[in-house]
Amino acid sequence: METKEQKFALPVDSEHKATEFRLFSVATPHMRAFHLSWISFFACFVSTFAAPPLIPIIRDNLDLTATDIGNAGIAAVSGAVFARVAMGTACDLFGPRLASSALILLTAPAVYLSAIINSPSGFLMVRFFTGFSLATFVSTQFWMSSMFSPNVVGTANGLSGGWGNLGGGATQLIMPLVYSLIHSQIGSSKFTAWRIAFFIPALFQTLSAFAIFFLGQDMPDGNYIRLENSGEKHKDEFSQVFYHAITNYRGWILALTYGYCFGVELTIDNIIAQYFFDRFHVNLHTAGIIAASFGLANLFSRPGGGMLSDLVAKRYGMRGRLWTLWVVQMIGGLLCLLLGKISSLTGSIAVMLVFSVFVQAACGLTFGVVPFVSRRSLGVISGMTGGGGNVGAVLTQVIFFRGSRYSTEEGITLMGVMIMCCSLAILFIYFPQWGGLFCGPKKGVTEEDYYLSEWTEAEKQQGFHKMSMKFSENSRRERGKKGVSAPVPVPSDYESTPANV
Amino acid sequence: MDFRGFVISFLVFSYFAAGCYGVTLSSLQMTLKVTAFSPLGHDLKAGEDDLTLKWELDSKFPSGIDSSYKTVKLKLCYGRESQEGRPWRKTVDDLKKDKTCQHTIVQRPYSPTNNSFVWTVERDIALGKYFVRAYVYNDQQIVVAYGQNTGDAALLDLYHIIPITGRHASIDVASICFSVFSVVSLVGFFYMESRKTRTVLQK
Repeated sequence: METKEQKFALPVDSEHKATEFRLFSVATPHMRAFHLSWISFFACFVSTFAAPPLIPIIRDNLDLTATDIGNAGIAAVSGAVFARVAMGTACDLFGPRLASSALILLTAPAVYLSAIINSPSGFLMVRFFTGFSLATFVSTQFWMSSMFSPNVVGTANGLSGGWGNLGGGATQLIMPLVYSLIHSQIGSSKFTAWRIAFFIPALFQTLSAFAIFFLGQDMPDGNYIRLENSGEKHKDEFSQVFYHAITNYRGWILALTYGYCFGVELTIDNIIAQYFFDRFHVNLHTAGIIAASFGLANLFSRPGGGMLSDLVAKRYGMRGRLWTLWVVQMIGGLLCLLLGKISSLTGSIAVMLVFSVFVQAACGLTFGVVPFVSRRSLGVISGMTGGGGNVGAVLTQVIFFRGSRYSTEEGITLMGVMIMCCSLAILFIYFPQWGGLFCGPKKGVTEEDYYLSEWTEAEKQQGFHKMSMKFSENSRRERGKKGVSAPVPVPSDYESTPANV
Repeated sequence: MDFRGFVISFLVFSYFAAGCYGVTLSSLQMTLKVTAFSPLGHDLKAGEDDLTLKWELDSKFPSGIDSSYKTVKLKLCYGRESQEGRPWRKTVDDLKKDKTCQHTIVQRPYSPTNNSFVWTVERDIALGKYFVRAYVYNDQQIVVAYGQNTGDAALLDLYHIIPITGRHASIDVASICFSVFSVVSLVGFFYMESRKTRTVLQK
């Protein structure tokens, strides 16, 4: 069966992934996928963190204690731990379009039902289930990795992830605004106004799911169902996809280190307003603005990390991506340590802003590496890394920010130490075809050796590995300028048994 | 001219400094007797029920103690029980940082006797056990005395306020309808996708 000759608005590679990123275009399918994914992810972030800015009202309405509030904050980020891995699998099997629209529609009820809760346990439940929607992060990254070529994938991932994360900051401004409009213009009592306010993020979420379903497509050439039926895409087996993801140690290392950049970002989203309120006695409104500015830095800092990853890769390849990730994350950890030690308000705000740039850039840099860890199990690897981010958030909140063992400033400093220790794991990532932080590539090993080792002989004979072949070719850029002279395989090498890696 | 300017700025500075000086509750005397009463007993519904408040100068104090008293502000304060596990309602001796009394009921010019006020419990008061405290201010807006309807431990004579839920039938219905709509439309999406698959398979 032949494929139609397709004309794309953007220049594409052999997998029809775009090799250029044009921010202000909405051309199908590449840029449209970008805009659909960041907007829907933004909506999910707005919903997940809609409660924190309204806590002073909600805690009075539901008679919450500090423990109730803390537990709900942990619940909000813990649901997504497994949801992200599940989402990764769903993307590998069903495609990002169906997977993300399904998840968004399934979690929208949790946001609508937030308007009718009456007790601390109700509050915990709605925050827990709403938090599942943060798994759309995985579908966002998966979708970008499917639509954009290796040379711009860091930029695409960084922008979509960063602009989605922006929702966590924007919500600190949106929700109080919506609430006060309802309270003062419509005249509802405080305890009614916050309930009505939750309909806004809920409706936004529902609409974005509809947009994805009707306007989006999984891959440049079409949706999974059509491609699987035409034989262009092999419908993969869950057990194989899962096995190749969990046996790849690089996925586990990135899951750990992502827990200490993104996980830290989520923790800060939950605790920073009350830190400034309690330590520096600013009023709640000011504390909210400071909290918002941390999240709003995502506008440029996470995308900046992604772009930096792509930029460094041009010259130094994957080794450059890994080095930059490690350096930026270590500096982030150092700044976090410093943040807890500063006792002046302006100093703290300044350090917090610089810290936000580094920690968010590290998130962008992480997803400059993730697309290369596996081709067959891209979704599950993305899900594991994303899930690891949430595990980091749960761990840091439970260890350092719960109960009265550590003061908040001690917690922040210790969190900085933990960031630096866990980031050392990056030193152990090694790609045989490209190298790692300290070692160069193994002689004679090619990209095909690495990516095709995920398929068995039998599978290769049936031609299931075609996409990995194309990807291997396109990822040769990760050798950097120096590696260009390394061996490039001849197509006939892969009709027979390849060398063992 | 210079000296006068200095004196003026010194006076202005000390006015503000005095205003900013953290008055502590423990430094004040409880010279006012405050009583609260409701015919419904100690359980009040927010937005509906009334609380009658009376306050007067405690006669056991020497006369002339109230020479600097100018205004009285009555506030609704959290009882000990309602403060537990809620650091945003914490009692701190420095009144600038104290969060015990967050609702102002009424403000009146000071008079030693014959003060009363009937307060309808406001709609946005949270569930809790409360008492009433009166702060007395001098003409520079500094607290100089207080009174309350309960003892120091804030455990007796507390009023249990039953709040509104803020829920309305219309919100409940809308919320459930939209939730059902989301799930139903997802089912619709899956149906549409499987129809597309069948069409593709037929081709």
